[in-house]
Amino acid sequence: MHKISFPLMGDYNVPIEFLLKHAFKEEIIMPPPITSKTIELGTKYSPEFVCTPFKYTLGTMLEAIEKGADTLIQMGGGCRYGYYGEVQDQILKDLGYNVTLINLVTKGKVDIRRIVKELKETGIKYSKLKAIYYGFIAIKMVKYMDIIDDYIRENIGFEVKDGSFETLKFKMLNDFRQVKSYLELKKLYRYYLKEIQNVPIRKPDKCLKIGIIGELYTVMEPFSNYFLEKELSQNQIEIKRFTNVHYLLFEKKHKIKKYLKYSKKYIKYQMGADAADNIARTKYLCEAGYDGIIHIKSSFCTPEIGAMPIINKIASEYETPVLFFSFDANTSETGIKTRLEAFYDMLEMRKEK
Amino acid sequence: MTKVGIARGIFYYYYGDIWKNFFDYLKVPYIISPNTNKEIMENGMKYANDEMCLAFKTYLGHVSYLIDKCDYLIIPRIDNYKLDNQTCTNFLSAYDIVKNTFDIKILNYNIALDKHQNLKQGLINIGKQLGFSKEQSKKAYKYAVGLYKKDRARDITINMGKLNSNKTKILLLAHPYNTYDDLIGRDIIKYLNANNIEVIFSDKFDDKITNKLSEKITKDLYFKYSKDNIGALIYAKDKIDGVIFLSAFPCGPDSLTNELVMRKIDIPHINLVLDSNSSFTGIETRLESFIDMLKGGF
Amino acid sequence: MKDSYLGVDIGSISTKGVIIDDDNNIITSSYIWTEGNPIKAVRKLIDILKKDLPNNYQIKGIGTTGSARKLIGLLLKANIVKNEITAHAVGTLTFYPNVRTILEIGGQDSKIILIKNGIITNYAMNTLCAAGTGSFLSSQAKRLGLDVSEFGAYALKSKNPVKIAARCTVFAESDLVHKAQVGYPIEDIVAGLCKSIVLNYLNNVGKGKKIESPIIFQGGVSKNVGVIKYFKEILGEDIIVDENGHLMGAIGIAVLARKNKIGKTYSLELSNIAFDTKAIECGRCPNNCELLKIYRNNELVDSWGSKCGKY
Repeated sequence: MHKISFPLMGDYNVPIEFLLKHAFKEEIIMPPPITSKTIELGTKYSPEFVCTPFKYTLGTMLEAIEKGADTLIQMGGGCRYGYYGEVQDQILKDLGYNVTLINLVTKGKVDIRRIVKELKETGIKYSKLKAIYYGFIAIKMVKYMDIIDDYIRENIGFEVKDGSFETLKFKMLNDFRQVKSYLELKKLYRYYLKEIQNVPIRKPDKCLKIGIIGELYTVMEPFSNYFLEKELSQNQIEIKRFTNVHYLLFEKKHKIKKYLKYSKKYIKYQMGADAADNIARTKYLCEAGYDGIIHIKSSFCTPEIGAMPIINKIASEYETPVLFFSFDANTSETGIKTRLEAFYDMLEMRKEK
Repeated sequence: MTKVGIARGIFYYYYGDIWKNFFDYLKVPYIISPNTNKEIMENGMKYANDEMCLAFKTYLGHVSYLIDKCDYLIIPRIDNYKLDNQTCTNFLSAYDIVKNTFDIKILNYNIALDKHQNLKQGLINIGKQLGFSKEQSKKAYKYAVGLYKKDRARDITINMGKLNSNKTKILLLAHPYNTYDDLIGRDIIKYLNANNIEVIFSDKFDDKITNKLSEKITKDLYFKYSKDNIGALIYAKDKIDGVIFLSAFPCGPDSLTNELVMRKIDIPHINLVLDSNSSFTGIETRLESFIDMLKGGF
Repeated sequence: MKDSYLGVDIGSISTKGVIIDDDNNIITSSYIWTEGNPIKAVRKLIDILKKDLPNNYQIKGIGTTGSARKLIGLLLKANIVKNEITAHAVGTLTFYPNVRTILEIGGQDSKIILIKNGIITNYAMNTLCAAGTGSFLSSQAKRLGLDVSEFGAYALKSKNPVKIAARCTVFAESDLVHKAQVGYPIEDIVAGLCKSIVLNYLNNVGKGKKIESPIIFQGGVSKNVGVIKYFKEILGEDIIVDENGHLMGAIGIAVLARKNKIGKTYSLELSNIAFDTKAIECGRCPNNCELLKIYRNNELVDSWGSKCGKY
């Protein structure tokens, strides 16, 4: 029996675990939640100036191995993220672990034939039919989660009773884990959407609205961005975020053309990963009257580094303030809080005038 | 007559000769920024984002040098030579970054072989912008590439010939925009030469051979220039005494590929990562001890 | 009785306090070293201020700012606790309503604040690294065997500042040592350091920010004439350094304390107040958060540092 595990990102471990559990006839090991130990471990064995998601994913892999995993799945692409897998594999081997690492995205594409071949070589048992069926459900699950998260983000800062949204979402994810069919999932989704929309909120007309843009992993994994969204919501701020897994998997492909057209005054080309997307989003946030923009990325994220001067230029043309954060494994949390506080103060002052 | 500016950085080290030949044939005057000096680098740092790699910061310095000295700048975008041979994001974003940072007209083309956008079309397009017919540009392209190939073949022969030298041989594994930059690689090469080392350059091999050879070390890599470099290492490994990995801080691809290669090879090597102000004294100490080791001089 | 307001700015290096009246006049002020113990420093600071405060004034508002603002806010029962960026801007605007740019280099932080029509339009802080800040400067001074207060004067003597890499403390230090070893004159090295601080600041914190006049330079490093010289030279603009520049944060928070007063009168008697902090490692999960529990008169008033928010 193989013991399969995978790196974590946000709440997406729910649909991934769901899919793997059904598609593979193997044991699935859930890595422990990301903590300071994860990033410490990851940093210890990572190359010096690699971007931070490498360190987080390596950290979770090591923790999964500690829990007994012998097969790891890595996915991702777009910049150097797509090359993480091979290097991490070598690092794990050099550390003396006898594990197999399966890379779902290679050379910028999902090579099904190669994945099938690797699964065969490893001797992992799976059902093709179930992979397709539960894959479909998992994808829908991602979509529903993303829709609900978008709603929560806009409103969580204004809930009348603290924790209402979080409690509901926690229950929803637990129920999602147990579903047996697409219909059941759909029913649950409708139920929770209604519940969540019925959570009492008290939202002033002139609340602060902030858009969050940046590098995908840092945006989607709350631990890596020092729980930025939670911090913002505690200050009665409406949050808009664009990047989620559904966007990356299904919307990006056709939206990127629109994005390029929309921002053609500034850019002509894509610049790797989500750089062009974030440039277009900057323009959108400025035009849609958002009070401020927060751009987050991990240190050394090259596509976003390239986008930053252009984001800065657009925002200053529209006079919308942007706060840039570059997170590393040893970023000081108090430093972040001070900068954020000053950011709200500034936005409030601008609004009052 | 309109004058084209060529920035001596990044793209220059892959396409500079072709551009020069092309403009020579069409009798278009051009200006190339001088070798990198402190002023250029400092100017680059002024325009660059703090986290950009040293080579790209320098590139922006070259661009700023040319701004009031020409009518057009030539800045391509190199996306890929098919999906398994992509480039780093600086090659994708240079055009748009410069366009948003400086006020200058830009001659631009895109190389994306997966979408059948190639150099020939690119240069024809540029010819058109400068007022030349398709026929004229085609001829110029043919001339430019023909001459380049001849020069390149000669360079490769000389470089590969050094593999048979009797001296201590070191492969300098680096991107050419680092190797040949006056503030990045030049002092290192000078130092090695002065110490009677045969320096072999990883960028002067036949990429038709080296690109494929890289698969012996890495099967998933999709960065063209890194693959070529790694292939050169595999090609040369039995004939050289040591390898120097030289990269510009914080190079995205090198951070991973050099790590992987160093874990997989058993040839003596050192890893030099240069920042904008790395002092040569520090590097010298490391080079000296490395050479001592190779020559067994302890 | 006249009303007055206390503002305290507790930084990593120094602690500043000021008491102002209803018209923003400074009644009394003080500036002492934090010496790693903000509570002790503030007790000392309050004692000094108390002695200097005329009898006909009563304190109607207290504000705290700086890196220890929350802790001291609890100690003093402040009616307002604000970050130092906002406090600095408010303080500076009180005296220079037309200011457009505030440059600030402090002990561990450096920041830039852009202002238009009296409101902050943009700001930036150093990227969470101490290179190019006051503590960096004093550690380099120590290496050269100089006192940091002599630094500026030394820099002015130099005609050829040496180029020093100040992007990163580690790089800078090795570069500095190297330059000293090869025999550059000390004033050229010191001038080089001052210049590199300015360049580094403009390339990092000031990147992409339009610096417009009037420009005010503040923070501990603004006492360094060498750094001022290179700011003037490189920006090609006049730089205003206020003699009370180091107090701007404290003044700003005092102004905010006045604006947010709640009608209460405060006592400056702290000697009978027990104030303790206790650090414990949580250990309930692998995050192993370092929890800090704060007790005022033996009563738990707050607890910080937990990532999960449960403890």
